[in-house]
Amino acid sequence: MTHATPHIAAPPAGAALEGGAAPTVGRQLSVDFKQVLGGTARATLGAVGALLFLLTWEVGSHLYGQLQLFPPPSGVVVALWRLFGEQGFAWDVWASLRRILVSFGIAAVVALPLGLLMGAFPPLRAVGGPLVSACRYLPATAFVPLFLMWLGAGEEQKLALLTVGVVFFLLTLLIDNTLAVRTELIDTARTLGAGRRQILRTVVLPACMPAYVDTLRQMLAVGWTYLVVAEIVATTDGIGAMMMRAKRFVHVDEILAGIVTIGVMGLLLDGVFRLLHYRAFPWLHHAR
Amino acid sequence: MSATGVRPELRVVTDSAPPSPDAAAEAPPGVPFLAVDGVGKDYPLRGGGSLRALDGVSFAVRPHEICVMLGPSGCGKSTLLRMVAGLDAPSQGSCSIGGARIVGPGRDRGMVFQSYTSFPWLTVRENVEYGLRLHGETIALAEGAGEYFLDRVGLTKFANHHPDQLSGGMRQRVALARALATYPRMLLMDEPFGALDAETRWQMQELLLEVVTRERMTVLMVTHDIDEALFLGDGIVFLSRNPGRVREILRPDFKRNGRPATKEAMYDAPGHRELERHVMQLMRDEGKRA
Ligand SMILES: Nc1ncnc2c1ncn2[C@@H]1O[C@H](COP(=O)(O)OP(=O)(O)OP(=O)(O)O)[C@@H](O)[C@H]1O
Ligand SMILES: [Mg+2]
Repeated sequence: MTHATPHIAAPPAGAALEGGAAPTVGRQLSVDFKQVLGGTARATLGAVGALLFLLTWEVGSHLYGQLQLFPPPSGVVVALWRLFGEQGFAWDVWASLRRILVSFGIAAVVALPLGLLMGAFPPLRAVGGPLVSACRYLPATAFVPLFLMWLGAGEEQKLALLTVGVVFFLLTLLIDNTLAVRTELIDTARTLGAGRRQILRTVVLPACMPAYVDTLRQMLAVGWTYLVVAEIVATTDGIGAMMMRAKRFVHVDEILAGIVTIGVMGLLLDGVFRLLHYRAFPWLHHAR
Repeated sequence: MSATGVRPELRVVTDSAPPSPDAAAEAPPGVPFLAVDGVGKDYPLRGGGSLRALDGVSFAVRPHEICVMLGPSGCGKSTLLRMVAGLDAPSQGSCSIGGARIVGPGRDRGMVFQSYTSFPWLTVRENVEYGLRLHGETIALAEGAGEYFLDRVGLTKFANHHPDQLSGGMRQRVALARALATYPRMLLMDEPFGALDAETRWQMQELLLEVVTRERMTVLMVTHDIDEALFLGDGIVFLSRNPGRVREILRPDFKRNGRPATKEAMYDAPGHRELERHVMQLMRDEGKRA
């Protein structure tokens, strides 16, 4: 070693001046993987995505030419206007919404206590777990003939189908939510003298509530997917019934209007649950 | 701010509540308060057989004493502390407090865990009062007990915050105040300051020392930090591993005339340097054995 090289060399004098700008090092990504977008940026990008989709659809529909079989979005809007304005579609929407809310309410009332107790007490889980897991794999639609025989073609049959469609998945997810409670929180409560019931009420339940609400929100979306199936059989009101009627007269625009309505209703209920989450669990939404 | 100074009295309504916090003081001096007697712990191994985590551990803690368990990682410190808390059961031997065998957790033994255990859905004040509210039927909620301990750990201003809005050190102070608020006979702590940065850590150590001295608490705590053990421990139980056994029980001589209030005071105390070297030597020995 005749001469020592410094480990960190100072930039040669005048280096910054040669290129005109200060030199930079490191590789910048134009899009960061975990980038946090601002509210306006997100809304704008979302709107751009939706507009692109609608535009492609509109143009595609006109290029195809058969507007009755493949109506453009503008045609769907007109159909919606007609449905709500002249055909009392609001009542159909209300009938469907009521079915969803009642059936989902039944599913939640059954699954919430069971999910809490089965998640908290291993013996209960051992008793019911395999049964619940097995039931998850039964397609709810397979129950339709059974429910028709047992409950007739009335409202009960539809509610039963909608309930069975979600209740087993809901229960499984709620049990998982309950199992995710940190053991240290339970141990802490025990060292402060809490008994079994007190732990359940003052630790497990409040610790699980936010996850429960999230699970309910996600399973509500699944509930809507069974709606049309439930309303196909001997039904006069509801979004699904309207769509079946429209099919008979090849009113494709009305069928699409029904699909859009279901999507919008799902989105609205999703928003309600998000708001509930925000209001009920403020500590999870603190800006630090 | 009215909570400073006087500790609120706990009014015990029924006899199922714990003895008054000064019960320990009634024991004659020299009589052990906590007795760990020939404790062993075996963990079953998956392939059959078992792992002996602890073997024949015996030591005693006197009233109002801070006992520190020190030892290399994996020597069974947490296991032993959980058994004293009643969260795990020993495979051999037993632990007893005030002559009664420990069979489960109870509010006579408050615990501070290494990880954050504040209840995130409760405010700081509600966290601190949690233990008291649990026993609302048996203890008339001590007027201002929450306020008092919030003040002792310096969190009065943050009483209505949620734990997620606090720093790590503040969260451990919440846990400490919560454990103290039920007036346990004994405070158990498993590396309570392990996750804190150096500065917060020694501030917390000094705070702990002040509160514990003032409240005349009996403490059993775990650490693997030599400095922390020397600063806080009236007695130090050094454990060796594979299996966990008591290697040596040390009593810092420089604390004969009272605990040093600050780290600096401890560093200046005669005999501190020698004891520190001795403990380091023990640690090095353990390292070689592993
Ligand atoms: N639940 C368990 N099942 C099986 N083995 C365990 C269990 N808990 C602890 N052990 C074993 O017992 C021994 C002591 O563990 P413990 O956690 O008490 O050590 P420690 O002294 O607290 O270590 P550290 O300083 O790293 O926290 C270790 O060998 C560990 O692997
Ligand atoms: Mg440990």
